[in-house]
Amino acid sequence: MISVHHLTKRYGSRSAVDDLSFEVRTGRVTGFVGPNGAGKSTTMRMMVDLTRPDEGEVRYGGERYRDLPNPARVVGAVLDARCMHPGRSARQHLRALAALIGVASSRVEDVLAQVGLDSVADRRAGGYSLGMRQRLALAGALLGDPAVLMLDEPSNGLDPDGIRWLRDLLRDHSNRGGTVFVSSHLIAELAMFADDLVVVGTGKLIVADTVHAIQQQSGRYVVVRADRLGDLHQLLGTDDADVELFDGRLIVRNGSIGDISRRAFEHGIALTELTEMTQTLEDSLLELTRASTEFTAS
Amino acid sequence: MNTATLDTGRVSSRRPNLGGALRAEAIKVTSVRSTWLLLAINVVGGFIVSFAVGALVTDEVLTIAEVGFYWTVVAAVLAAIGGVLMFTADAQHGTLAPAIAARPTRTDIAFAKAAVATLLGAAFGAFGIVAGFCGASLSGIDAGELSAAPSTSAWAVMYTTLSAVLGLGLGMIVRHGAGAVSGLLVWGFVVENLLLVFIPAEIARYLPFVAGNHLLDLDSDIDSPEAIAVALSRVENAAVFAGYALVSLAIGITMLTRRDVD
Repeated sequence: MISVHHLTKRYGSRSAVDDLSFEVRTGRVTGFVGPNGAGKSTTMRMMVDLTRPDEGEVRYGGERYRDLPNPARVVGAVLDARCMHPGRSARQHLRALAALIGVASSRVEDVLAQVGLDSVADRRAGGYSLGMRQRLALAGALLGDPAVLMLDEPSNGLDPDGIRWLRDLLRDHSNRGGTVFVSSHLIAELAMFADDLVVVGTGKLIVADTVHAIQQQSGRYVVVRADRLGDLHQLLGTDDADVELFDGRLIVRNGSIGDISRRAFEHGIALTELTEMTQTLEDSLLELTRASTEFTAS
Repeated sequence: MNTATLDTGRVSSRRPNLGGALRAEAIKVTSVRSTWLLLAINVVGGFIVSFAVGALVTDEVLTIAEVGFYWTVVAAVLAAIGGVLMFTADAQHGTLAPAIAARPTRTDIAFAKAAVATLLGAAFGAFGIVAGFCGASLSGIDAGELSAAPSTSAWAVMYTTLSAVLGLGLGMIVRHGAGAVSGLLVWGFVVENLLLVFIPAEIARYLPFVAGNHLLDLDSDIDSPEAIAVALSRVENAAVFAGYALVSLAIGITMLTRRDVD
């Protein structure tokens, strides 16, 4: 279990991360989600001691990261896919890392094969595509066969096959009892394999729960079209339902199809559409983080 | 896919030793072209310059014992550049972050870099001297008095070794390769020479490369009578130059342990 307690990081008067607390459970894939500037990367960097928090701490099974005897055997982190010298080959890059973390150099060949770079291992990393660099960075994280994989936007630059391969690799890691903590902008992709989500905005925790629970919380609404839409809007607005007029339709939350049709029938309003919709996880998360989005297109 | 169950209780795993960090740094240094390019410049340049000086300078009597060490002044600068790149390449290409994440105490990384920089600097010195003596010998000048050559070689290797450490420290402070290298070159070749004109000889003798170059104990036409009168001994010059190298390294290590890593 990874416990993040009251992490805070300020740059001047701006708080990049503000009193952030959450837990990442063992044996599960936890997605770390939030808009640009939400503090995801800063949080992850603090979790592996690259950035020192102003307040708060992170514990791995009760131990601080820096107190772990060999952190790379516990946490394999990829926080930047460009973390390699362009003039050094993949094999040499991994050999240096293997020496540093005290694993046998034979392990280099294992992880090169695991990420599919064994045939290009002697080529300089400067000639690699972004997807190949992601794979090499991931190979570095896998070197110590760590229990925890911590990845910041690992699918950037990967093609669809690569994304599927990554998803299977991370899922397999958690199936074997490992812990995966992964940030991504591809929410639909995360929804396919994450068990839990930690959602942040402007450095603060918005919600931390299972994917299922988050989908349930704001997942369903009813779309209504009627001949006297204004009257129906007024009528449903007096109930507990949350009603919004949008593009010639009513979007009704907290209301059931049965209740809406009964109320319309009682007041002689003819319905021309009555559809129950399930919100995607992406919609739910966009809604959750809307208030804390720093940059939006006009 | 690997189907073995993971050992999630890795907290008790053994702490990696300093030897691993040394091996990692050695692999890093020897696996990039810039190191080999600098060494090639050192060897080829040392040979050509020494040969050219021996063959073309005719207005004074030169010997192999003298000319063989001329190139060491440049070898020291190349060693310093090598030291700079040892850190700045890591910082600029993002390879510092995984290293620091693997060794969060950070001092292991710093000491390993310092140790490898020492070896690199010594290699620059040794190769530079060999290239210089080869070039001077082939130019056809007299051997001269060679009895002091072994001890001068030792001082020269110490100079290039400390230069690499100075460069490493500078790189750790500046963190930007081009900035640190240009700062080093401008200081060594421009600023110090200007200062020699304007400041008293009692102070100028403590400038880093003035002290470093005097480790070679070469007869210099540049030194003024005032400078010769107040010149430091070789041991004192070594202490001054080592002071600069070790202070820059100490500042660099302090900054490495305290600053956030990008």
